[in-house]
Formats: sequence, C-alpha cells, structure tokens
Amino acid sequence: MPVRLLALIPVAVAISLALSAAVEAVALPLFLDTTGTILATALAGPSVGVAVGVLTSAVNTLRNPTFWPFVVIQIIVALYAGLAARAGLFRGLRTAVPAGLGLGVIASLTSTPISYFLFGCTTTGGIALTTALGRALGLPPLGACFFGSFVSDFGDKAVTFALVTSVLHALPRRTAARFPLALRAIGAA
Amino acid sequence: MRTRHPFTLLTLAAALPTLAWLLPAPAGALGTAAVAFGLAAAAGVRRVLVPAVVTAAPFWLFLFVLHDLPTTLAIGLRITTMVAGFVWLAAVLAPDRLVEAMVARGWSVTVAYVFAATLSAVPLFRARARRIVEAQRCRGLSPRGSVAKRLRALRALALPLLLSALHEVDERALALETRGLRSGARRTPLAPPPDPALERAARWALLLVCIAALVGRLV
Repeated sequence: MPVRLLALIPVAVAISLALSAAVEAVALPLFLDTTGTILATALAGPSVGVAVGVLTSAVNTLRNPTFWPFVVIQIIVALYAGLAARAGLFRGLRTAVPAGLGLGVIASLTSTPISYFLFGCTTTGGIALTTALGRALGLPPLGACFFGSFVSDFGDKAVTFALVTSVLHALPRRTAARFPLALRAIGAA
Repeated sequence: MRTRHPFTLLTLAAALPTLAWLLPAPAGALGTAAVAFGLAAAAGVRRVLVPAVVTAAPFWLFLFVLHDLPTTLAIGLRITTMVAGFVWLAAVLAPDRLVEAMVARGWSVTVAYVFAATLSAVPLFRARARRIVEAQRCRGLSPRGSVAKRLRALRALALPLLLSALHEVDERALALETRGLRSGARRTPLAPPPDPALERAARWALLLVCIAALVGRLV
C-alpha cells in the first residue's frame, strides 16, 4: 500500500470520531461516525475504507463496547461507498443525497438484527427512545427496533454523503489527483 | 494486570463477552459479569469499577423500559460483562506495549504504525474540532434555528476540519517516507513485553473454553 494511503487511515478514523464535536454544537440527531470511512473510500477505494471502518469501530468500542458488533455496518458502508465512487455519485448533491438515503436503508436493515438479538435495541439512548416510540405506536418488537435504527440511520447517511461530496469538491484538483479514486468519484475523470 | 502480555489482556477481554453470550442465561452471564467486575475492581475501584457501573447503568434502564424481567436480566448481564470487560481493558492495556508486542510477533511495521497513529490522532483531531467550533462561534456562526440553518452551520464546522485533515495526510506521508516506512518492512522491537509459557497456555485454554461453550450451545 502506498505511504500516502497508509497515512490517510489514522486521519480518516480520527475524522469520524472528532466530528461528534461539530454535531454536538448544532444539536442535530446525527452520528457522522462513517464520514471517515466514506471519505477514505471515495479517495482511495474500498480496501482503505474497510480498514478505516474496522479501526473506527475498534476505537469506538473503547468508548462504548456495544459498538463492536456493528463493525459489519462499517464494512458494508465502505463497499457501498466504493460502488458509489466508481459510479461517480459524488459529482453533486443531487446524486450524493439519494445515494446516502439508499445507504441509510441498507444500514438500518443490517443493524436491526444485530441491535435486536444482541442488545435488545438498547445500543444508544436515541435508538432506545425511538424503539420505545415504535412500541407505543403498536409496532411488533422487531419492527419497533427497525423503526429506531431507520430513524437514526436514514438522515445520518444522507448528510454524511452530502458532507463528503462537499469536501471532495472543495479539495484542490492537484491534491485530489494524488488519491487514486477521488477524480472519478466526483465525475472529473 | 498491567504487566501481563497485551495479547493475554485482549484474549481475556474477548473471551468474557463471548462466554456471556454462549453460556446459558442468566447464570452464565452472571458468572462472567462477576469475573469482569472482579477484574475492574482489582484495577481500581474509582478509576475502573465506578466508570464500568456508570457506563452499564443506562442499558439496564432502557432494557427495563423495552423488555420483560427475564429478557432484561439475560441481555443486561451480557452487556454488563461486555462493558466492564472493555472498560477494564482500556484501563490496563498500554497502546505502546501492544505495538511492541505486535512488532515482536512479526506483524508488519505498517500495521503497528496504523494502530499507534490512530490512537494518538483521535485526541488531536477532537481538540482541533473543538477549536474550530469555538473559532466559528467567535466569527458569528449561529448553530441554532431551523434544521436547514443547522445543517449549513454543520457544513461550516465540519469542512475546515476535513480539509485540514486531508492536507495533513501529505505531511504525514512525507514524514513516513523520510523515515523509510514501507509496506511489509520488519522492525526490531526496542522493549518487547515478556510472554511467559503460562500466559500462552492460559490464552489457548480460554480459546478452548470458548469453542467448548459454542459446541455446547449448538448441540
């Protein structure tokens, strides 16, 4: 692996974990904890993205151990972002936001069984509360758990895709060209 | 426990939640939770045990709200084992010793670099993110109002962090190249942690216990 891509991995992991400060400042119900994974994939391909995703989960696990089984989601996010980058879906918000919404559906479908069978849908306070809301609305337990995951993932992934698109377009072309996939992801190559 | 080999600490922290999920509930998970709390108490009551209890408490609250008592007990004890085990691991596992152990075991220096650089980069970038939030507030950015306004504020807060981080990648790559780091390179560890035969045997024993529990669960 080239040294530049090696240097990108810890930086991308730190991005995913540091963005919580920005999210707290604007008080929106978002995680943005896959930003580094998606950005690294759009720049350097899915193998770097998978490495970033696995490391992000490992470091997050030291803060909240229930995050570790969700490493599967990070891997799926990296593979999906790789396909999106190859298709040039980061060329504008009109293509990136629907792609992010699609990822939100896939992520919530995948995280629901993990959250339900391992943790009884109590992985975070927000998910537990939205699951309780789903139960109050008359949904069955698994359906309520999906409702909780869907509410948290759907918007989060769309905002993350939009954010990564903004970064890729704000990056000077000379810098972007140093990464193997960046220009293709924004439809410039 | 700090003097134990890092691989032993990792094996123990992985085995406890594995057994908590594999052994029959709630007795099995009660046993693993007791072991995890014992380890946490031995590492320091105020520094490790109390944070473990505080981290596990909200899960019990959510479980009581969402489930009946037997399910709450079964899942709650499993999550408690996991939380206490990882809080204990974070307290006793020194990242530099882990990197030394990995290098001594023949892992590529690039893998060791990625682990060490990630652990040191996270607090650095968190501090930078907080500085950017404060700087943008000083410039009059208001993170309140409608969702659209908050999303615009989020972009103004996140973009400087992401762009500065990507520019830093170049600096880091240059620094690594000048130090001769390349994929597959092997280094000699300066102070590899000792790995006594007893600890190696204990790791294999833990692995066998987990496999036996898995077989017992499936049969």
